[in-house]
Amino acid sequence: MSPVVSRLLRQLVLVPVVACASYFLMAALPLTQESDAKRQVSAELAASYRRDLGLGEPWGFLRPWEKLWRGERLGTSAQGVTGDELLRKLSGSVGVGLVALPLALTWALGFALLRTRWRRGRWAVLGDAVPALAFGTPVFIPALLLAPAVVERGSLLPELSAALVISVWPGIFLGTLVGDALEAELSRDYVRTARAKGLGAGAVLRRHVLPNVWPALLDAVTPVATALLAGSFAAERVFGLPYFGQLYVLAVLNKQVAVVVVATTTFAGVLVLVSLAVEWMRWWLDPRSREVRA
Amino acid sequence: MSRAPVRAWVGLALLLGLGGLSLAAGRLFPEALAGTCPLGMDLQRPDRTVCELAFGGLWVSLAVGLTAGALSTLLGLGVAAVARLLGGAVEQAVLRGVDAVFALPDVLVVMVLQLAGQSLVDSGQGAGLGPFGLMVTSLALVGWAGPARMFRDRLLTLESQEYVAAARALGGGRAHVLRVHLWPALRPFVLAVFLSRLPTAILTESTVSFFGIARMEPMSLGRYLGTSYAALVYEGGSRVVLPAWGLLVLLVLGASLASQALTRGAGQAPRGR
Repeated sequence: MSPVVSRLLRQLVLVPVVACASYFLMAALPLTQESDAKRQVSAELAASYRRDLGLGEPWGFLRPWEKLWRGERLGTSAQGVTGDELLRKLSGSVGVGLVALPLALTWALGFALLRTRWRRGRWAVLGDAVPALAFGTPVFIPALLLAPAVVERGSLLPELSAALVISVWPGIFLGTLVGDALEAELSRDYVRTARAKGLGAGAVLRRHVLPNVWPALLDAVTPVATALLAGSFAAERVFGLPYFGQLYVLAVLNKQVAVVVVATTTFAGVLVLVSLAVEWMRWWLDPRSREVRA
Repeated sequence: MSRAPVRAWVGLALLLGLGGLSLAAGRLFPEALAGTCPLGMDLQRPDRTVCELAFGGLWVSLAVGLTAGALSTLLGLGVAAVARLLGGAVEQAVLRGVDAVFALPDVLVVMVLQLAGQSLVDSGQGAGLGPFGLMVTSLALVGWAGPARMFRDRLLTLESQEYVAAARALGGGRAHVLRVHLWPALRPFVLAVFLSRLPTAILTESTVSFFGIARMEPMSLGRYLGTSYAALVYEGGSRVVLPAWGLLVLLVLGASLASQALTRGAGQAPRGR
């Protein structure tokens, strides 16, 4: 089997694994009834638990998906979700993530350039301090600082603000990675040889250095996509955006177990799609990935 | 003394100093914090100062991070050791499992595990786990994949050394080589990996607690901000958020400094968030 196909299959298998693991974990939950516990769930919620998960039925683990396919509502009427609503909420979160991606790339480029400049001067310590500051900042902190301007005064667009706050850490992470990779490649012999033969700095960068930096950048795309999507959970909560992250948090808080199963699997599916896109780009950009290794 | 160990000591001093001060101020001398706080009273609880709640919650976040980091490191070490001992198809299957766990974001999986754990606790099947134990267990169950991958790669590198080949040529079995020859070389790396897990555990706990899913008592930093979040959104709360942010950054900085310095000493950098 070629390494590309092997990698693709390895990614794809994640979706059924997550679907089954989350289903059987949720199906095994002892949801306590009003008569037998201090922290009770309502009768309506307990009924939706049995109905939506198809407990005790053969192929019961397909029941949540079957209901979504038929356009029926998962969970209780107030806090449940239909297939259309799920797709709308997911597209909202993905949209925020897609706006955040170019912002993250802008942060990355800016930080990589600044880091290269700082490395030569007395600001070198900032090259290490900024990533530490970004890494130590959970998304909800900048979201809370921006929130009064967004939610209370309405002076900023919530979606754009969410994209802005979730793009910071991935941007700095990418910037650090690309900066390091660029520096390593620029110090190699082939760069010196190309320059000595009279090729301009821009042409060396474009033709020789960047093709060798792409694989490092592609390796970082999946963790960055994960960070953007996971970060959107906190940003959506603070800015009150009614998208996928908000749906997920509310489903967990309200014990909407069927919604949790479906949302977890959907999230894994989105990550797998991103990984497949990355594999395709790697296959296209990096000839080494097309070689069959012994 | 070389530069790396000094950075490690600075990081460890920062971590332990902050944790010790927070514990002492929050539990032993709370009136000292209450009487001298320049940040004023809390928005939600007018009888408590911001310093009491933010600085007093720091040690809870640190304790969760330390315990969860230690547990996930031990789990990862065990998985890596078993994978290398058994080798072949079992090792490949374990690695695929590790990749699957590693692919999902920690926050999402911890939320699901918290839901499952809280349902078990509510029905009296929680094996005596309180909110602290539940959070530590959830974080450990999520966080072992990264250390397992790092330890497995490190073991593979160490196994290519000549002294290991010599030990095998002299008839040393896999378990013997692991115990006598590889473990001493792996030990410094274990500490570095443990410290590299610490920031991730602290940040994940903060985020999940902020959502109100974990019921941490006494309140951690994340839970403190989560319980006040409506007031912070509508009234503006930079005097609450900025100190909490500073404390989180200092914790993460301390752990990162120590981890990076120790890892450089052990000859390999731990990966990713």
